[in-house]
Amino acid sequence: MHEYSLASAIVEQVKKIAQEHNASKVKTIKVSADPYEMVIPDLLKEAYGIIIDELELFKDSNLELLILPAEIICIDCDYKGEPSIEGDDEFAYNFRCAKCGSRDTHLNIRHLTIETVDLEILE
Amino acid sequence: MTQEKKITVKKQAYLVNDEIADNIRRLMKEKNKLFFNIMGSIGAGKTLLLERLAEKLSPHYKIFVINGDVATTIDADRIAAKGATTVQINTGGGCHLSANLIQKELDKINIDDYDIFFAENVGNLICPAAWDVGAQMNMVVVSITEGEYVIKKHPIIFKGANIAVINKCDLDGLGFDSGTLVEDANKIKSDMEVICTSAKTSLGLEALIDALGIQLP
Repeated sequence: MHEYSLASAIVEQVKKIAQEHNASKVKTIKVSADPYEMVIPDLLKEAYGIIIDELELFKDSNLELLILPAEIICIDCDYKGEPSIEGDDEFAYNFRCAKCGSRDTHLNIRHLTIETVDLEILE
Repeated sequence: MTQEKKITVKKQAYLVNDEIADNIRRLMKEKNKLFFNIMGSIGAGKTLLLERLAEKLSPHYKIFVINGDVATTIDADRIAAKGATTVQINTGGGCHLSANLIQKELDKINIDDYDIFFAENVGNLICPAAWDVGAQMNMVVVSITEGEYVIKKHPIIFKGANIAVINKCDLDGLGFDSGTLVEDANKIKSDMEVICTSAKTSLGLEALIDALGIQLP
């Protein structure tokens, strides 16, 4: 249940952004995540809901999660990009390199990123 | 009157944690200290392994261990009895340590008083993988009694590890097999050091100390 820690980290950062812009409300937060970062979207949204429950600044705000395509780094040929084939039942995260076909690859996990924040600003 | 404004942020949610983790790593390097993050499943033998390391290393080095558990100070007490200085973090419901929790404990001590630091993460093969605690090396401990598929089922934590320790190898051949786990660890991450140990008998302890880059006189 590390989604709670993640949701909390998102809220703390957005609080600062809202303050910097003198915002009266946070409307929508868009975040992106790697498909293999072990973030369960429903749990993240649930945790977010719990954290913002008593925060007026975040009342009725939405957290939108975009899942990115997987990215690998090939140990054999240094290719960096989308794999040609994802893992198999045998080794779920050893993706096949799209360039040389090696299965000796590392996942290049892009950490959960706050992409944009829609704010309501008092004039 | 209000207006809506879209702010482009492009910042990692972990940013605060990662900044603290990077600072810890930088500080440890500057001060020529070693800091290892020990992760692994519940009951894999992390604490007994740290007891063995404390016994072996504390005559030569000052050891500081930060133990993470949901409750109790059992682990910190056990390792302290073997010559290390320890502190227990009780995470409540938390399933992992974070850089912030480590930093708070480091703030309470003089780092110069110690040579080698260990964080024993909360027993869990999932969540600790996602949280950088500022260590120079990540080590994952599993034991052969956890079943032959334990590594295959938890690839992410091994993808981020420098060392995989296959523990309880004194039971190898007695209905348990270390070979499959070693093979799986090598297949999941070919540049990861894989070491078979028995914290009970100290088998593999010297190989582990060597892999950690710690020199014994």
